[in-house]
This record gives sequence, structure tokens and C-alpha cells, in this order.
Amino acid sequence: MNKTFKTSLAALVFSTSSMMAMAAAQAKDITIWCWDPNFNVAIMKEAGAIYSKTHPDINIKVVDFAKADVEAKLQTTLASGVTTSLPDIVLIEDYGAQKYIQSFPGAFASMNDVVDYSKFAPYKVKLATVDGKTYSMPFDSGVTGLYYRKDYLEQAGFKPEDMQNLTWDKYIEIGKKVAEKTGHKMMGLDPNDAGLIRIMMQSAGGWYFNDKGELNITGNEALKAALTTEGKLIASGITKPAAGWSNWVSTFTSGDVATVITGVWITGTIKATKDQENKWGVAAIPKLDVKGATDASNLGGSSWYVIASSPEKKEAIDFLNSVYAKDVDFYQKILVDQGAVGSLMEARKGAAYETADKFFGGEKIWQKFADWLSKVPSVNYGVFTNEVDSAVAAQLPALGKGGDVDAALKAIEAQAKSSMQ
Amino acid sequence: MDRLTRTLSSVFTYAFLGIMAFLSIFPFIWMILGATNTSIDIVKGKVGIGSALMDNIRAFAAAVDVPLIFWNSIKIALLSTALTLIVASLAGYGFEVFRSKYRERVYSAILLTLMVPFAALMIPLFIMMGKLGLIDTHWAVILPTLGSAFVIFYFRQSTKAFPSELRDAARVDGLKEWQIFLLIYVPVMRSTYAAAFIIVFMASWNNYLWPLIVLQSNEMKTITLVVSSMASAYYPDFGAVMVSAILATLPTLVVFFVMQRQFVQGMIGSIK
Repeated sequence: MNKTFKTSLAALVFSTSSMMAMAAAQAKDITIWCWDPNFNVAIMKEAGAIYSKTHPDINIKVVDFAKADVEAKLQTTLASGVTTSLPDIVLIEDYGAQKYIQSFPGAFASMNDVVDYSKFAPYKVKLATVDGKTYSMPFDSGVTGLYYRKDYLEQAGFKPEDMQNLTWDKYIEIGKKVAEKTGHKMMGLDPNDAGLIRIMMQSAGGWYFNDKGELNITGNEALKAALTTEGKLIASGITKPAAGWSNWVSTFTSGDVATVITGVWITGTIKATKDQENKWGVAAIPKLDVKGATDASNLGGSSWYVIASSPEKKEAIDFLNSVYAKDVDFYQKILVDQGAVGSLMEARKGAAYETADKFFGGEKIWQKFADWLSKVPSVNYGVFTNEVDSAVAAQLPALGKGGDVDAALKAIEAQAKSSMQ
Repeated sequence: MDRLTRTLSSVFTYAFLGIMAFLSIFPFIWMILGATNTSIDIVKGKVGIGSALMDNIRAFAAAVDVPLIFWNSIKIALLSTALTLIVASLAGYGFEVFRSKYRERVYSAILLTLMVPFAALMIPLFIMMGKLGLIDTHWAVILPTLGSAFVIFYFRQSTKAFPSELRDAARVDGLKEWQIFLLIYVPVMRSTYAAAFIIVFMASWNNYLWPLIVLQSNEMKTITLVVSSMASAYYPDFGAVMVSAILATLPTLVVFFVMQRQFVQGMIGSIK
């Protein structure tokens, strides 16, 4: 009672308008900034509805902006030091996590005291950890898979068994057969996007940065293997060039290519093409030919962060912890409604994860993704992932034309160093 | 022979203009066609009228409170345009008509502010608005636009064409300075005001970065913010995005076409 009185008093004093103060005196608002009305916003509203049932005094307010806009707002506000206008919880893309945590020390609350991080996929926890403290509530995962058209592969003489435990060389070999027998290319590939490089590199436990966060390019075996493989893929003629994201998506929604290798979040898009029902299968991605190579990786994904200066910090952490770290049913609901794969390992025990998917010919694809999720190698995304990524993308067209990989690595390192200064 | 060359040259002129017109109008046509198609068809590159217009409008209306957002944008645009015109026309008139020792220096100082990029002002401005307690209010969007150096410059240039004889005659007739401004200057400079109205209204309507930074809640957002937020989903509903884009373009189109003639006159006036 006393505490509520105090916080309402504080709200009265600090609020800039009397209207806000009145609302705060009755109930506590937890404000959240995130992007994508159909995905993050919808999911957070669902989480808010669940939490409000047991906490009627908490009011979850989700504000949606474009992703770049959330970042612009967050950076301006943190840099200005006007913390009263910050939200209580903000969504940050995983690749940028280290940048925010390290550039604005003290801005985000570490949640180690409350959250049991051992229940989450290890790579999702590590990417938001600095000096032993973890600052995020791990959210959606971009665990990768190889989606393949069973019908095209069958025409080329391959069964689903042939798609298991692939290496990239084997994948290219199959691709050539498929092209020869069916006329379909094996995959759509945007020559200006380094997404596939990131998938391959992380699958072998590598990243643009080493464990200490230092730039790691020229001596990076995983990156070198990834670049070499992408060069081979293009040279073998089994890829269909795509210009930009929408065009890339249309390479498989139109039924043009035989496989898709990307994050699990593409499942919804694939399932949206109803005429392709029963034609798709899912397998693990091919392995690179280097030490530490696995068949699990990640592309994209994001996590929730609590602002340390928020007056509702405790409530915000409790909200995230009760829903995102404990509620297995919640994960079933967002998997069904939004196609979101979370990072809580227990979620796979729920009904939705156990269900055989009709679209994929009755395969239990979510169990497979849950398996791979636990195996994704942990890497340090570092502070400058986006900068190095554009340096890599700049070298891809040359590689596709048979350029030298070592020269490309040197060029990437030079460009990355200059843009990191 | 001579006639042939003339015909040929006009054929080329029209062909060239036609291509250019097509290039500039095509995005608008695409936007309108897109609003009638499903998201999947748009991504596939379908050109043609679809049947999903009502679905798209419904999806858009379900995603945002359309009247509220539209009203926010209109309110901000009209208020900042009206206030900017008042401030800038008074300033432009004053700079041109009244002489003083420091006039040109002050004027140059104001023009110099044109050279400071907005990105450099953003954080100090944000701190200022924070201290004034204006974050997440529409005033935070409106106030920084009022002292627009460009519009002051534009009014001063146009005022050069305002005949000094008119002012002298008014003074002889016993009008006070503020009466001269209100009763003589404003009516005479109608087309200048119209042109400035279009410029400021469009800039304010399309203003994006600053409203994005200072507006924090869904209820305060302007239409440009909504379009951006909808278009940046992982899998945007492009049909609904096109509907929102049409809605975002419409007012500027209407304002421009209604005031087009004055706009052209005003522009000519400022050059004279």
C-alpha cells in the first residue's frame, strides 16, 4: 500500500501532463517499443493480455515503429540523456545487441537475478551477455533449416533421405542434377546480401569477431569456407539471382527454385502458398568442410531489453520473466498465430510443437527446429556486425565471378577497419 | 521540308516528354493499382487492377485508428503552416522594408542556419523539448518549424516586388505600420502566401524524422510514421501499405492542385 502510494506520488510529480499522472495513479503502464504490427506487436499484446489476467494493475502499452525508427529513437534518446521519455521495454535485433549494451553502459537492466537463463538456447543468451551479465529476455529465434521441394527432387531421382546430413559439395551435386532433370534452379540468391554467408559462418561457430569481440577476418576459417562455398554455388550455375528481398521471396513462392536455406521465420511465407501444400520437406542445412562445422545456424532474431532507469523496471522484468521465461502455452500460441519460434527450450514440449504439420506432409517440423535451436553455435556478434556485413556484401559480386577468396578477405578487412573507426 | 523538320522535332519533343511523364507518374499508378491487389500479387509484380481493394482498406483500418492519425497530421500541418507563414512573412517584410545598422548581419545569421544539418540539431533540440516537457506532444513537432530561414528568405525576396509607392501612399493616407502590413501587404502578396503555403504544408505533411523522434505513443503518430511502421514489417501487407500511401499522398496533391495557379504566380513574383 505504502509503496503504491509512493510510486503514484512520484508519477504525479514527474509526469509532464496531468492526464498522464492520473492514469499512472490508477494503474502502472509498461510501455514497449517494437516493430512489425503483425509479428512483434501482436505477440507482445498477447503477452500483455496473459500477464494482465494475474496483474490487473499493470497496463501493457505497445507502441510500434519501423525497426530503423526504433533504433533512431533509442539512440537519440539515450544520447540526449532525457530518460523520462524512454519506454520500459524495447526490442533490439540480436546483431545490434552488443553495440547497444556496450555503447550505452548502464542503460539496460541486467536480469540475471531474476531470469533462469539456462532454460534458453545458449547462443541467444550469450549474444546479450557482457562481462558475465545478461541484459536481454531472449525472444524470437532465426534458427535455420533447409526447405526443399520434394516433388522437384523426386523428379531428379532424390528421396527425402538423400537430403539428410548434407555437405555443401553434396548439395551442389544434387543441385546440378535437379537443374538438369527439372530445369529448376536449386536456390534463389541475392548477390548483394551476405545472409547466406552469415548462416554458413555461424554454423561452424565463426563470426566476423572472435570471442573477445575483436575483428576476425583474414584468419577466419569459417568465413573463408563460407565465402569459398558461396563462390562455388554461384559458379556451379545452380543459383537463381534475386534482386532484393521481395524478389528473393518470389523465387520460391512462385515455385521457381527447389530449396530455400534461411531462418525458421520463413515458414509462414512458405505455408502461405497454398498450392504448394505437401510439396515441401525440411532438413538440416548442409555442413561446411571445416573444423567445428555443424548443421545448425541462425539468421536474424531479436530480444527484449528493459531500460534500467525506468521507474517500472521491476514490474517490466517480472512481466517478461513470467511470460517469456515460463509460459509454455504462450509459446504454443505465438507459434500457431504468428509462426514465431521462441528461444525457451521447454516450449517444444507443448502441443503446437508436437503437432505434425499437414502442409509439410505430416512432418513434425517444429521438433526438428527445436533440436537445431539447441545446437546453434554461440558466437560473439560484436559491436560492428552491420558494418562488416556491408563490407562482405561488397565483395560478393566479385566472388561470384570467380574472384580470389584471400583477396576478398583482405578487401573485407580493409573496408571493415575503415568503417569501424 | 521545313514543315517535316518541325513535325519531326515536335514528335521527338512529345515522345521525350511522354516518356518523362510516364516515369514520374508510374509510381503513382503503381501505388493505386497496388491498393487493389493482394500483397502476394504485388510482390509477384502484377500490373493490373485486382479485387482486393476493400480487403486492403479493411486491413489498414483494422491496423490503425485512421481518422485519429489523419487528424494528427492535418492538425500539425495546418498549425505549423499558419504559424510559419505569420512569423516568416512578418520577418521577411521587416527585413526588406525597415532599415537598421544590423539588418544585414542578422539576416545573414538567419540564413547561416540553413547550413546546419538537422541531424546535428536533433539531440540538443530533443533535450530542449524534454526540459520544456513537450516530448510526445504535437507542439514539439510544430514549434521547431516556425522560424524557417528558407521561408523568411522567400518572403524577403518576394517583398522586393512589393511597390514602395503603395506603402508611401498608405502612409500619406494615415495608416499605421501594422495596418499597412495587414490591409495592404497581405492582400497584395496573396500569391506569395499561397506558394509559401504549399511549400510549408508539404514539408510539414511529409516531415518524418523529427516527429518520429519526439512522438512516443500510438495516439500521437502522424500518417508518415504509420506508413513507415507498416512497410517495415518482416512480411508487410503491401496492399494495406499502398492504401496508407494513397492516404498520405492525397492531401499534398489536393493542396497543390487547388493552389497551383497561385503557386506559379508566386514563384514568378519572387524571381522578378
